[in-house]
Order: sequence, then structure tokens, then C-alpha cells
Amino acid sequence: MELEEMQTREREPMIVVSRMSHSYEDEMGNQVKALDQINLTINKGEFVAIIGTNGSGKSTLAKHFNVLLEPTEGTVSVLGMDTKDEEKLWGIRSHVGMVFQNPDNQIVAAIVEEDVAFGPENLGVPPAEIRKRVDKALDVVGMQAYRHHAPHLLSGGQKQRIAIAGVLAMNPDCIVLDEPTAMLDPMGRKDVLKTVHALHKEEHMTVVYITHFMDEAMTADRIVVMKNGHILQEGRPADIFKQVESLKELGLDVPVAAEVADKLRKDGYAIAEGIVTDKELGDALCLSY
Amino acid sequence: MPIVLDSVTYTYGQGTPFEKQALTGISLTINEGEFIGIIGHTGSGKSTLVQHLNGLLHPTEGQVTVNGINLADKTEEAKQSRHMVGMVFQYPEHQLFEETIAKDIAFGPTNLGLTQEEIEQRVKDAMDFVGLDYKTYADRSPFHLSGGQMRRVAIAGVVAMKPKYLVLDEPSAGLDPAGREEIFAEIMRLHKEQGVTVILVSHNMEDISKMATRLLVIDDGKVLLDGKPIDIFMKYRETLQKAGVDVPPVSQLTAYLNQRGLPVSEEAITVDDVVASIESLKKR
Amino acid sequence: MLGNITIGQYFPGDSLLHRMDPRTKILATLIYIVAIFFAQTVVSYLFVTAFTVWVIWMSKLPVRLLWNALKPLWIIIVFTLAIHVFTSTGTVLWQWSFIHITKEGLQMGVLMTARLVYLILFSSLLTYTTSPIRLTDGIERLLRPFQRLGVPSHELAMMMTIALRFIPTLLEETDRIMKAQESRGADFTTGSLVKRAKSMVPLLVPLFISAFRRADDLAVAMEARCYRGGEGRTRMKELCYTRLDTVSMSILILVVLIILVMRFYAV
Repeated sequence: MELEEMQTREREPMIVVSRMSHSYEDEMGNQVKALDQINLTINKGEFVAIIGTNGSGKSTLAKHFNVLLEPTEGTVSVLGMDTKDEEKLWGIRSHVGMVFQNPDNQIVAAIVEEDVAFGPENLGVPPAEIRKRVDKALDVVGMQAYRHHAPHLLSGGQKQRIAIAGVLAMNPDCIVLDEPTAMLDPMGRKDVLKTVHALHKEEHMTVVYITHFMDEAMTADRIVVMKNGHILQEGRPADIFKQVESLKELGLDVPVAAEVADKLRKDGYAIAEGIVTDKELGDALCLSY
Repeated sequence: MPIVLDSVTYTYGQGTPFEKQALTGISLTINEGEFIGIIGHTGSGKSTLVQHLNGLLHPTEGQVTVNGINLADKTEEAKQSRHMVGMVFQYPEHQLFEETIAKDIAFGPTNLGLTQEEIEQRVKDAMDFVGLDYKTYADRSPFHLSGGQMRRVAIAGVVAMKPKYLVLDEPSAGLDPAGREEIFAEIMRLHKEQGVTVILVSHNMEDISKMATRLLVIDDGKVLLDGKPIDIFMKYRETLQKAGVDVPPVSQLTAYLNQRGLPVSEEAITVDDVVASIESLKKR
Repeated sequence: MLGNITIGQYFPGDSLLHRMDPRTKILATLIYIVAIFFAQTVVSYLFVTAFTVWVIWMSKLPVRLLWNALKPLWIIIVFTLAIHVFTSTGTVLWQWSFIHITKEGLQMGVLMTARLVYLILFSSLLTYTTSPIRLTDGIERLLRPFQRLGVPSHELAMMMTIALRFIPTLLEETDRIMKAQESRGADFTTGSLVKRAKSMVPLLVPLFISAFRRADDLAVAMEARCYRGGEGRTRMKELCYTRLDTVSMSILILVVLIILVMRFYAV
């Protein structure tokens, strides 16, 4: 029963991008097409990773999900609301929260809990309700102990978790993270990824996760690969990472296990396709050994 | 001409309520021609440590000498010794300030008091070195470049001072895999072709294991481990974990496969090493 | 060095002073600072000192914190003392060449210095016991009646909040850029005034660029979190006067009255 429920929810679209292009004028006055004819559907409850090199258009795409940018052509709709409809602007933004790359430049207040309250305050939520939401959000990201701290004394990973709590307190259905771990150390990266997975599993949040770390992307339900403003491929991590060479040509990394499996296969060894993790490679090797 | 640290202790805000000891009695010799990797979790003291290497910080106790000259001295000699150690900070593109790329790279050489011709030559060499065509880029503004290019200009600005030692703090932070590879190819060339001693601070264990000849693990203001990277990654996995640092993905894989009963060589550094080792097992 | 600046930094706690409404605290601080200027006699200063000590004790703050607030300003404090001690005329107590110390000068010097110290202590008490956001909230509410006269109270408060948040970040950044340029041979400390002013360019340009980039990022992040000005905004921590505020304000008014009476009767 529960499984069925989850499956129906997953089939409902959260974000639908249809034949969408985005161009802008650069400093020299030239028209630059950052996104070209994008079609993409993100379903409720999904965890989608978007990968691509710098300049592939992945951040530009993400900014369309909560109307920080509007399409030049085509449409983006969030829960059926067209992002070009000005009346729906704040509705969309309260449904889709966004976390950015630089942990320092998205924290507004000088005290952690006051910063988490910033979003709901903007939405005009009553004080008692804000208090509840802030406490819950800080619990979810495991930062309750730091609620009276000044943000500049926290580590990068802690700051990103505060930013995530700030989004959570707005009670969104979907969270978009634009390279949230690019500026963090390995410990911070692990903490942030763990937090995002907890949101996905326990809070049933739809997650769009932009990254160029493949070990993070491989934990997603689905991966979207972008290049020069196009979507090159999308599919399960196993399907994406079996194309070792084309990913490398794009300038992207591949998980070590996937690369080893690919090379063994090329050398004529019978190794199953779709290996991504160390465990999968271990299983495959033990079977044939 | 080694850099020698002799029982270096450093305390921040000495005599204030915020007093914090960042380094405790570090003794260390960095020989010419080495490629040293430094790892440690955030707050372990590794940033404080590298800032001692070119005299940005002076030890509260102990001393740092380059070629026998104490960096804390106020002599012209000491100043020149400090300039022998180049320092590339995290996100070095944030230090660019001149109107043109050439002028920005010339900042360091100009401060060294070189002649105009020598400065120009060094700017040309440095730009050539980081793969920016002099004719095309010299008069452009550094602020209209892409992130990766800006970082290369900033590194060129340090390289143009012709340091004998080069310290780099997370030079690949925030770059995509392609950009990361370009930067590291340049650093490797600097090391191999010009014989520059490199000290690389990085969270990326893969890069360290591929390039460094010696690895220092810093924890709680002390040198926890000092040795060949692959030896440390093989033998001290638990110690590393306790110090809050990872082992490279390849070492993680080989360790896991061994745990599963597949005697793959744990000395493998690259993916090809692992593949070769697995294939030799299968042939047997 | 840059990390040691503590002015304007909140010290969390749960004392009565911490719990007071920021509006009460701001008004009370202003009133008290003005009132100190009416104290003239030694007796009234003893009274002011006693009250100040009592308030500090009530705040439960570590004494070293208040000492830290005074420390960066010691030059001004010593200067104030010296000016009064050495320049006043009156009964000469001690003389050496053209330097003389008078009884009146000594008295004035000590009183003026005490006045300055209390002023600094009280304003630091305000910032130590009030979180920056509550402080700006308080200022915003106090300025709200002037909104009709064109005072942009919400915008001012928002600017202050952001400034408070980013000052430590920008100080760290300054330190980092200085070190990066020093590594490239820059010299910020020696040479003539003109040379030193010039040497600031490699520091200031990157700092400004960085500040603008941060401002850009922050504006986008605020927009993404539904910020659209002060209208329709609520607050997690509502400001409300309690009995504590009424009592505190009454005590303060009593203190001010006593100071005024002492002045009137020259006690």
C-alpha cells in the first residue's frame, strides 16, 4: 500500500521544462544562448543529479526552477504554475527552495536561528509557527546545538547545513542545490550529502542536486548530463556511468569502480554492465573469480 | 638549500583571552626537488604551517630557516629568502587587481626590483607557462576571463617571481575535473622542467597520491605521519580516519577488494594499476 | 590582530538585561548617557559608579569582556585624562618646567575620563546583551513613527543586519588578500605616506570586487528566500514590553531624577 502510494506520488510531476531556451546579452553585446531547447521533467519525490562542466548551463537551468531567471523561449512550470506568471512568483518560490555554492554569501543574519527564520518571516508566517519550523529545521540538519552561534565561526559544511535549514523552514516540496559542496572539505561534503539524503528519505523532499563530484552524483535516482546548454543524456547512475569514455571526453570524472569495470571489459573479461560502486565491482569479481 | 623548521610552535592571539595554540613543536626539513603533499582536516593547523614557510607568520617559539637564513630576521637577506618561497592561496583569483593581465603578473617581479626588460620577459614566460597566449591576452582585463583562466593568471603572478619553492593551498578548489587536470599538469611541469620544489595542500587524495613524493599528515598542530603517500595510505588507514582525512578512492577500492578476499595489490595508485593487478590475478 | 575586535559582538546569556526589550535598552542607554553629563560632584559620581557597577553585575557578563571593550579605546581615554590634567588652570599641585598639574585639572580629568568610560561601558553592555538582530529590530521599531517623514526604517535595519553579518567575513578576507599580496612582495608598512597609500591599491581593489560579488550573491539568495522588502513581513521574535521593562525603565528614571536633584542642590 505504502509503496503504491509512493509510486503514484513519484509519477506526479514537480517541475516540467518544455522546449525551453535562455539567452542573454554578454558584456560585448553578443547574444549568448546559455540553454537551448531543454525538455526535462522532475517528478515528486525524485532525487535528480545534474552534472556537467563549468559553463554547461547547469546553474542557469537550476535558476529557472524558482524564477531567479525566466525562459526566453518555451516554458518552465512548477506544480502546474507557469514561472512566467507574475502572480505565481512567490507561490513558486515558497515551494522550491534553493541552496547556493558559496556558504558565506547566502546567510543573511548574524545569528544562526535568526537566519533560519528569515524565509518564513518573509512569507509572513505567525511568530509561534516560525519558532516551531526553525526548531524542526535545525533538528533535521543536526545544527540545533549551534542555534545561538554567529555564522562566521562555523565551518563551511555547517554553514551549508544552516542554509539548508533556512530553506526547510519555508516548508518547500522541492530543494534545488547548486554545487553546494564545491567549496567544502571532505568532511563538510559528507555531512551535507548525508543531510540532503535524509531530507529526501525522511521528509520526502524532491531534490535537484547540481554537482561535479561523481561520488555524489552516483547516489541519485537519476542523472542528467549537460553540455553547452543541451541535455546530453539522462538515466540511472548505472546507465550513465557505463559510458566511461564519453564522460571523460566531456571533462567529467567517473567513479573508480565503473572505470575499472569498463577497462576489464575492454580487455576481454566478462564483467556485468552497470557497475558503479566498489561493492558492485567486488560482487562481480567474486562471482567470476 | 632546504627549508628547515626547528621546533616551531605558533600561538594565535598570545596574551589575549582568545589564545589558541595552532602548531606545537614542529620540526621538519623540506629538501629541494621534493613534491610534498600536506593533508589534514580543516583546523588541523596546516594553513598556519604553510604560512610559516615564506615568513607570513613567524613562530612564537622555534625558528624557520631557508638555506640557513632565519626568515624572522629583519635583514635584506631574510627578505630575499622569503621571496624564494612562492605562495598560492586558496582561490588566488581573488587577489587580481590590475587593469591588464600583463600588469597583474608584473606586480611580483616589479616588487623584486627587476629591470623593465627582465620584468617583461618574466611576464611572457609565466603566461606562456600557464598556456595564455601573450599577444592575445597581455592587454586584456583579468576580470573578463573564465574562473579557471583567472586562476591561471593568479598562479602566473606567483610563478613570475621565479620561486625555488612553491606552496599551493587547494589550487583546484571549485574547478571542474577538466580545469583541475589543467592546473595540475602545469604544476607538474613546473616541478619537472624547472625543478621547483612543490608543497601542495589538498583535500583531494587522488591528486596527492598521483603526484607527491612525500606526504605529511597534520593533526592537532603536529606532524602525525610523514612518509611515502602510498605507504601511508596502505598502512595507516585507521590513523587517517581518526585524523579526519580520507584515503584516495583507488586505495579505498583495493582495500575493499582485499577484504572481499581478492588479493589485489594495495600499492596501486592509478586505475590502470588496479586493472593490471586484477588481470594478473585472473591469469593465474 | 583583526580577529580581536569585540565591539558590537553579542554575548549570549539569560540575565535580566538579556531579557529586556531592545527598545527599552536603547532608550535607557541614550537617556543614561545624557544623564551622566549632568553629574558633576564627587558624590553624584559615586552614585553613578555604583549604579553602573550594579547594572554590570546584573548583566552576568564576564568582566574581561567589558575590559576588552575599553582596551581598543585606551588612547582616547588616556588622551582625555591628559588634556584635562595638563591644561587646566587653578591651584597648582606639582610643577616641572612648563608642565603643571592643578587640583581642578586632576578633578576634571578624572571626572571626564570616568564619564567616557561609563559611556563606552554602557553602550557595550547594550551590544553585548542584545543580539544584533534584536538591536536592529529595536532601532527599526523606534524609527517606525518617523517612516511617514520619509525615514526608511526597514531598509536601514536590513542594511545594519547585513553589515553586522559581513563585517567579520570581510575582515578575514582583508587578512587573506594582504597575505597574498605580501607573498608577491607587496609592502604595506614602510615608505612615505604617498607610497603607502599607493600600496593599498592591490588590497582595496580585490576587496571591493569581492564585496560587490558577495552583495550580488546575497541579493539573489535573499530573493530566492522570498524577500520583498518590509511589507507583510513577520518576526520570529516579536518585541513586547513586559513588566521587566516597566520596572527597569522606572528604576532608570529614578536614577536620572536623583542625578538631576544632586546637580540642582550641588551635592
